[in-house]
Amino acid sequence: MIAHAIFFYVFSIIAIVSAIMVTVSKNTVHSVFFLILDFISISCLFIMVGAEFLGMIMLIVYVGAVAVLFLFVVMMLNVAQQKNQWFISEENSGHIPVGLLISAIIFFELIIVIGGWKYKPDLFETTNLITNEISNTHSLGQVLYTDYIHIFQISGMILLIAMIGAIVLTFRQREGVKKQSYLKQISRERSEGVEVLEVASNKGVKIDD
Amino acid sequence: MTEIGLGHYLTLGAVIFSIGIIGIFLNRKNIIVILMSIELILLAVNINLVSFSIYLGDLSGQVFTLFILTVAAAEAAIGLAIIVVYYRNSGTIRVEEIDKLKG
Amino acid sequence: MEISIIALPLIASIISGFFGKFIGDRNSEIVTSSLVTISAILSVLVFYEVMVNQYQDNIIIATWINSGSLDVNWSMKIDALSSVMLVVVTSVSALVHIYSIGYMSHDPHKPRFMAYLSLFTFAMLMLVTSDNFIQLFFGWEGVGLCSYFLIGFWFKKETANAAAIKAFVVNRVGDFGFALGIFLIFYLFGTVNYSEVFEQIPSITDKELVFLGIEVNAINLICILLFVGAMGKSAQILLHTWLPDAMEGPTPVSALIHAATMVTAGVFLVVRCSPIYEYSELALNIITIVGMSTAFFAASVALVQNDIKKIIAYSTCSQLGYMFFAAGVGAYNVAMFHLFTHAFFKALLFLGSGSVIHAFKDEQNINNMGGVWKKLPYTYALMIIGTLALTGFPLLSGFYSKDAIIEFAYLRGNTTGFYAAGIGIFTAFLTSIYSWRLMFKTFHGEYNNKNIKIEETHESPLVMIVPLIFLSIGAVFAGYAFKELFIGYEAANNFWKDSIFFLEPLSSDHPPFWFLILTPTLVILSIPIAYYLFIKNKKLPEQIITINKPLYNFLLNKWYFDELYDVLFVRSSKKIGLFLWKFFDLKIIDGFGPDGISAIIKRFSLKANKFQSGFIYQYAFVMLLGFSALLTFLIIK
Repeated sequence: MIAHAIFFYVFSIIAIVSAIMVTVSKNTVHSVFFLILDFISISCLFIMVGAEFLGMIMLIVYVGAVAVLFLFVVMMLNVAQQKNQWFISEENSGHIPVGLLISAIIFFELIIVIGGWKYKPDLFETTNLITNEISNTHSLGQVLYTDYIHIFQISGMILLIAMIGAIVLTFRQREGVKKQSYLKQISRERSEGVEVLEVASNKGVKIDD
Repeated sequence: MTEIGLGHYLTLGAVIFSIGIIGIFLNRKNIIVILMSIELILLAVNINLVSFSIYLGDLSGQVFTLFILTVAAAEAAIGLAIIVVYYRNSGTIRVEEIDKLKG
Repeated sequence: MEISIIALPLIASIISGFFGKFIGDRNSEIVTSSLVTISAILSVLVFYEVMVNQYQDNIIIATWINSGSLDVNWSMKIDALSSVMLVVVTSVSALVHIYSIGYMSHDPHKPRFMAYLSLFTFAMLMLVTSDNFIQLFFGWEGVGLCSYFLIGFWFKKETANAAAIKAFVVNRVGDFGFALGIFLIFYLFGTVNYSEVFEQIPSITDKELVFLGIEVNAINLICILLFVGAMGKSAQILLHTWLPDAMEGPTPVSALIHAATMVTAGVFLVVRCSPIYEYSELALNIITIVGMSTAFFAASVALVQNDIKKIIAYSTCSQLGYMFFAAGVGAYNVAMFHLFTHAFFKALLFLGSGSVIHAFKDEQNINNMGGVWKKLPYTYALMIIGTLALTGFPLLSGFYSKDAIIEFAYLRGNTTGFYAAGIGIFTAFLTSIYSWRLMFKTFHGEYNNKNIKIEETHESPLVMIVPLIFLSIGAVFAGYAFKELFIGYEAANNFWKDSIFFLEPLSSDHPPFWFLILTPTLVILSIPIAYYLFIKNKKLPEQIITINKPLYNFLLNKWYFDELYDVLFVRSSKKIGLFLWKFFDLKIIDGFGPDGISAIIKRFSLKANKFQSGFIYQYAFVMLLGFSALLTFLIIK
């Protein structure tokens, strides 16, 4: 129990601090690194409470894919070095105290909700109870591929669409790049392919490109 | 203090959620940080779901977390693609300079 | 056959009105004139049938309104009364159509003109042949509309437009009373068909109604309301002001609408409703008084007018007054007789004056004419016939009808009757004077026109003279030929049958001999008097004018009716309108309504506009604001 408490506090403090650092750090690359740290500490917490599959998958997806994607974009756009000007913004910074106030309100309300919640009476009669006989990954797989198969498929579609969307958005045809066009090749006529010219002596022929 | 219960995890979620919200409108640097703040908010939601799932002994929470993960990944990909396109077109992604939505 | 009498003018109007551009001016003139002429021939046949074979019918063409207890048909009631009107309307209309071909020869809008004329004929026929009050009202408004169109035919002339609007508005006053009368009839009897209404009249003679806070007899009220409508349409005193102004329209229009047909609709209405009027002594007295006042008033005004058409217009007004007081003294058949003869000689006079105007190239002031009787022999001769008929020269048509009116008024035997007879005789004298004044000033004396030389005045073409000849035949012989039929004792009863209702049979006595010869004597005497005044001794009328300057001005300004109405109604309503417009509408309604609301919306949307900054962090901020509000709401709940 003590160990649980110690690990919880350690990881949660790391998570909170790094989350704060994500928002306030001056360099965007640092922000991404703190985001990675955040994800790692949270996935550690997940593993600790027994959701080991989710913890690992989060490491893979977030740290391995999403965060790296962020990193790539930040570097590619070369915006990392832009100075962070928060709190000393120009004229329209009047909303910052209000924003802090709103955030505080939301935070305290969440706390109130946490303090005041109750179980649903028939909660434990519902299905998918965690049993200790099989591993977390095993049991997740059992429900994921049976009860949630359709949603699972749809989430796959979502990822596919996201991929296509990202490609479509960022793809651009550069000018000056020679490309093969099948249609153009097939529909070529003799008349436009070959031109017979009268070559005048001592003048030669001018060939346009 | 030593007895770590559901409340602790939920509080952690609430804290990270609020930090995410603060991050959305406190930063003036670039819009990527806003996307990261959104990831933080989703993370907070995930913490909530997983901790409920564990403490109630119900697997559904973890399944939902999985799906949220998927959607978050897709959202990050699309969002970053949009940012790249925007940067290419207007040369900036500073939050203060993005006001193309104005009619 | 009967239906085609009504249908042909409508068809002619549609062809000429909608397709006039395609078929051309000449063809639309031919189509309208020939179709209306056919209709006139058919009407004469129907009249003959009615006259000889006592033919009567009520042809129902189609159902118009069938709603609850209101049951109205498009119908064609043929009896003595409507057959007389049919003949008058269609024959005068046909002649006017033909005349217009000549008169309007320089006008660029001939098809439109012909279409209006035919449409008018159709509406007038609907009016006279209806068997119920609703169709009557339809025709009533239809002729009013066509009158408006035709008065304002030369729409580029501002005075013509003003006159058209005046005619329409003044008629509205009368029509309002008329419509109220019809409502009252439907309220009391639950039907608007003549036969059913007339049947029930005797049963409600004692019914009292509260109207405008006064308890009045129902029949009196109906009669007076209907008579208000008749006053408007027939230009009786108080509602007469539109008729002289209506002379702004082309002269054929004046002849057809404002002399022969439309203005007599009021008389027709009173005669048609004789079964109602017979039960209302009060209404009959009012009709008599209004009629004789109009007759006298219009004749007195006509004495001093200088516009050839206005003189004839006032003369029409005056003759309508005669018809009304004939109806008022209970001699409905005499009123119809005068209507019948008047249509011929007044149309003749109007068309003749049109011919004169045509000859003088649109000059209408009689002071600028004179001495052209040799240049316009046919017009002159025909105008003489018309004038003789109008003044009631013995043996011409006006003599029979007008004298009959005066005699019947005398025979009525009560105070109003004697009074009316006296006024009638005096007015006949005035009529004679102003008619001859018109004739002498126009055709005799010296040539006074400075704009065109006397050699340039020319006789009108044949197409204008021939209709005049037909009308003059009517003007000469209509009185003698139909005297027995219309007002004779035995024959008239056989002819009119139940289309005219008499509570007590008309007196068959004859007035004393001195009374009979009084009017003709005055009429004949007036010719040399007029000749002396306006040809021989022109100084005398001028001296009379200078001596009686106020009286002269009073008459010249038409008893100041227009000015009085201007002060009483026009200006005050203009003031009210200006107040309502400037203050009530602009300041209050617009201020609080559209303008106020739009100003508020504008102000708020300018505020709201600031929210749309285009910065996504602000949008996200607002979103989170909403989120926190929602959360708070859920927690508190």
